[in-house]
Amino acid sequence: MSSNTDFEPKIIAFVCNWCTYAGADLTGTSRLKYATNVKIVRFPCTGRIDFLLLLKSFAQGADGIIVSGCHPNDCHYTSGNFHARRRWIAFRSILDLMGVDIRRIQYSWVSAAEGSKWADLVNHTVADIRSLGPYQEYQKIADYLEKGGYHGED
Amino acid sequence: MEKIRERAATLLAEGVVTLVLGYEEGTKRPRPLFCRNSESARKLIFDSRCIHNLAVYLTKKELVGKDRFAVIAPIATLRSIMQLYVENQLSEDKLLVLTVDPSGELRELVTFEDIAGYVEQFELKRGEREQEILSKIDEMSREERWKFWMEEMSHCFKCYACRSACPLCYCSKCVVEVNRPQWINPWPAPLANMEWHINRAMHMVGRCTACGACGDACPVGIPIDLITRKMMEDMAPEFGYIPGQPAKKGNALSTWKLDDREQFIR
Amino acid sequence: MSKIGVFICHCGENISATVDVERVAREVGGMEGVAHAIDYKYMCSDPGQTFIKEAVKKYNLDGVVVGACSPRMHEPTFRRACAEAGLNPYLCEMANLREHCSWVHEKSEETTEKAIDLVKMLVQKVKKNKPLDSIKVPVTKRALVIGGGIAGIQASLDIANTGHKVILVERDPSIGGHMSQLSETFPTLDCSQCILTPRMVEVAQHPNIKLYTYAELESLEGFIGNFTAKIRLKAKSVDYSTCTGCGACIQKCPVKKIPSEFNAGLGTRTAIYVPFPQAVPNKPVIDRVNCNYYKRGACKICEKTCQVGSIQWDREDEIVTEEVGAVVLATGFDVKGADFFPEYGYGKYKDVLTGLQFERMASASGPTFGEIRRPSDGVIPKKIVFIACAGSRDPAKGIPYCSKICCMYTAKHAMLYQHKVHDGESTVFYMDIRAGGKNYEEFVRRAIEEDTVNYVRGRVARVYEKDGKLIVKGVDTLLGGQQVEIEADMVVLATAGVANCGSEQLAQKLHVSYDPYHFFAEAHPKLKPVETNTAGIFLAGACQAPKDIPETVGMASGAAVKVAALFSNDELVREPLVAVVNRLAPPLYSTCVGCFMCETACPYNAIEHEDIRGRDGSLIKTIAKVNEGLCQGCGTCVAFCRSKSIDIQGYTHEQVYAEVMSLLND
Ligand SMILES: Cc1cc2nc3c(=O)[nH]c(=O)nc-3n(C[C@H](O)[C@H](O)[C@H](O)COP(=O)(O)OP(=O)(O)OC[C@H]3O[C@@H](n4cnc5c(N)ncnc54)[C@H](O)[C@@H]3O)c2cc1C
Ligand code: SF4
Ligand code: SF4
Repeated sequence: MSSNTDFEPKIIAFVCNWCTYAGADLTGTSRLKYATNVKIVRFPCTGRIDFLLLLKSFAQGADGIIVSGCHPNDCHYTSGNFHARRRWIAFRSILDLMGVDIRRIQYSWVSAAEGSKWADLVNHTVADIRSLGPYQEYQKIADYLEKGGYHGED
Repeated sequence: MEKIRERAATLLAEGVVTLVLGYEEGTKRPRPLFCRNSESARKLIFDSRCIHNLAVYLTKKELVGKDRFAVIAPIATLRSIMQLYVENQLSEDKLLVLTVDPSGELRELVTFEDIAGYVEQFELKRGEREQEILSKIDEMSREERWKFWMEEMSHCFKCYACRSACPLCYCSKCVVEVNRPQWINPWPAPLANMEWHINRAMHMVGRCTACGACGDACPVGIPIDLITRKMMEDMAPEFGYIPGQPAKKGNALSTWKLDDREQFIR
Repeated sequence: MSKIGVFICHCGENISATVDVERVAREVGGMEGVAHAIDYKYMCSDPGQTFIKEAVKKYNLDGVVVGACSPRMHEPTFRRACAEAGLNPYLCEMANLREHCSWVHEKSEETTEKAIDLVKMLVQKVKKNKPLDSIKVPVTKRALVIGGGIAGIQASLDIANTGHKVILVERDPSIGGHMSQLSETFPTLDCSQCILTPRMVEVAQHPNIKLYTYAELESLEGFIGNFTAKIRLKAKSVDYSTCTGCGACIQKCPVKKIPSEFNAGLGTRTAIYVPFPQAVPNKPVIDRVNCNYYKRGACKICEKTCQVGSIQWDREDEIVTEEVGAVVLATGFDVKGADFFPEYGYGKYKDVLTGLQFERMASASGPTFGEIRRPSDGVIPKKIVFIACAGSRDPAKGIPYCSKICCMYTAKHAMLYQHKVHDGESTVFYMDIRAGGKNYEEFVRRAIEEDTVNYVRGRVARVYEKDGKLIVKGVDTLLGGQQVEIEADMVVLATAGVANCGSEQLAQKLHVSYDPYHFFAEAHPKLKPVETNTAGIFLAGACQAPKDIPETVGMASGAAVKVAALFSNDELVREPLVAVVNRLAPPLYSTCVGCFMCETACPYNAIEHEDIRGRDGSLIKTIAKVNEGLCQGCGTCVAFCRSKSIDIQGYTHEQVYAEVMSLLND
């Protein structure tokens, strides 16, 4: 494994609009600092987060992924997060069976009130991924014969 | 065997059904037979070599049309039929099932309740091959598993035989054919192969009845049936959904429980 | 090719202090499909919005990205600006450069680069955005108010006075809530009953208000403008259409020793009872848990006494269904009771009371007719100690918040005591005195200065009994932590205000969020204090957090105005961010195969079946269809559908895919 000290992991976060996105807003309003490595994609609900997006993120070079939404019982849509929880239970075990490094996906519940939890989550995830190093294993297969594919451009 | 032929011929002759799906002798192993008259029903056979999952034809509208038909089904096919029913793909008034129970008796199952009651008596067990490969995989480290599957999948040339063989892959447009966006590239390549198989497994969660048709169909012998089988085995106790068993409507991933257990969400 | 306009905001210095905004605009300006990119000090200001509007027209833009604060803050602002310039508002997206970037990172190269990525990703998304039209839904102009305390009473009256119908549901046999239990109210010391009772009567007589007492919400289905409420009318065992409220039955009921809830356990009531003399409605219910007949199958004395034959033994709970367009939640609060304060001897010593009990004692209509007497022996206490913050502001007790009303009512209690027991001596232990409010500080000073209440700053460690006296041991923190010990005749605890029991379940029934202490959560702590996150459901009073009467009433009127505003139109215009099932040309019609797994997944029952029929009327296939009125746009169905047949507007597969791909592209 490469030396990880100057490795800046690329991390993508899939969050729901009502809890974690708002929680991350609160982190901002409270001026708490965290690492710049994480970029947030906003979804209405964790229930909307397609597992294929997670796979695509690794293929596009993400070294780590954060998936976060409302705590159980707090879903703005009442149960999107429960659906998501099941989806992740299944998805994780498939990935594990296939040998995908599931330590690189961090799932969390961060409420709209947990600005500091969001900062901690990001910082921890960045540190964890930094110690795991770049996800070369996956990126290697992604680089092979895939370029020139349709990537959302018309 | 004779009883099946007779019964099939009668059903056709009396017009109870217009089509009987069954098996006839093939060059290497039995192959599917579509009988439309009592004449061809004489060619029907049914024994332990008849494992081709005929349930796959039940959702092909061109084949089964609007009429009532009968299907000769070993236990694995019955499980698929149950699952298709749970997924709103079959209706009782169009289907009739013929099977032979372990004591050699011919059984005619007319309602889904009948089928469910019959299926329930049989336990879903791993065969020798499954046991062997799965326990080998169980012992591997993550890196070894990744290498194992990468190696296996390097043979996949995206013929989609697995998809065609699976009775539960009945979508009119498969996700690999969706191109806005093109989620998974259709050509064979390590990433596209991996994504296809992970996707297939996710789509089978709580649905795969472990009939093994996909694995049988794979021309290069990738044990892909074990991916979905393992998922079925792992998720059934987790979510209480045993595919192919009489289930309430819904699916493992479209329902949830307050106390679904996980240890990985922080 | 797309023509996207990008507008980067400095937010004064909030963004530009850590992000090189000019570089962001420059780099994004070079992207394919970006026709125009600028940065400006305040994009949300009038001139800022004018820049956007002019650019939309000048460059004929087909998409706009504003890199500024959180879209949760200003998305509506910029979408409106676009709409005013003739661009479909849903072609405008925001990149969150402030809360998610400049405020959480130091000034650095990486921070600017992250900002560039964030904007780029929204540019890629917006290229896939489609113009959307808002959805119009009809509005049922009737309101449901849950909880008949002063909050629910005020909200009901205000809504009813705008000419709309109100259904008021109260759990107890009478409306009134906690306010009906109070003696006199701070800061004016006017009698609570005297100001409340007329309003209660007004509710009962108002032609626009339908009152259900002894009732609870069973379920609420539907959405803003179109809710269906099922209400459980608990069996009262008394026929209110014939009962005259004479009260003869109450006099004769042999079960007399039931602790009265209204008197906070200080007095007793009968099994057939009216909670208090001024109750509305002033007709009894039978408490089936304690009634001899329901317990043992014999008694029926009330039936014999009743002149009009109103007793109905086998009456069952009844469920009524009401169609309403809006809901006001006004279920109030509760105070912590027994077992919570073992160190203060509550529940162990009879003469340790809660503030609410003291309130009943001080009330002229209370169990002691307004005289302060020890529950243990009926003696008038000569020395009394009030302990403020009993439970509140105590993280160890799980209640870190301030209950807000206790400082004031403790001052009131001490004052009432001094007025009633002239030679008495009262001491208040407090942490701080929180008397923010009109005439509040003056009120407390009056207690200290005119009524000579002894205020000791410090915590009480323990209360124990010795020779018939209550020994209160504490420290005086103003005197440098000196030990204080007072021999008291009575101790009153200003116990913490907590969420009402059952509020969590109620919130879950209504799909509204609640805070860690189970108080209902407002949609925004400052700007949307009476809204919830669920459209059409509003909050009033102490169910949101402990608060006093003036604040409660203000909030209730606020909620009423929101309801009235909703009812001022026949149609409600909704955001079109809903799911849709694709439709294609024959022979496919749709890629949906009708597995209806989405139907089981949808939390709002928004998925319906649609039959596709041929020209001869024969069924070709049955596919899923989304009810736009019910769909809330969570997208759970979207992530579930295997054939990607269902998509959600505003967060389509194409949009999020483009975003993810862009974010990691280089
Ligand atoms: C000891 C004490 C002294 C006080 N003194 C003063 C004072 O002097 N001056 C002042 O301004 N304020 C005072 N207050 C505060 C005052 O009591 C509150 O501000 C006021 O009662 C809040 O009104 P509310 O309607 O929001 O809640 P509540 O009064 O609690 O009313 C809530 C109502 O909703 C009903 N309900 C609850 N759950 C349900 C349900 N699920 N379904 C249907 N109905 C339900 C309840 O039965 C109740 O009738 C005092 C409070 C206490 C505890
Ligand atoms: S939209 Fe998808 S999930 Fe819903 S019925 Fe159609 S195919 Fe099934
Ligand atoms: S997005 Fe789908 S699951 Fe969510 S409310 Fe709408 S139809 Fe139901």
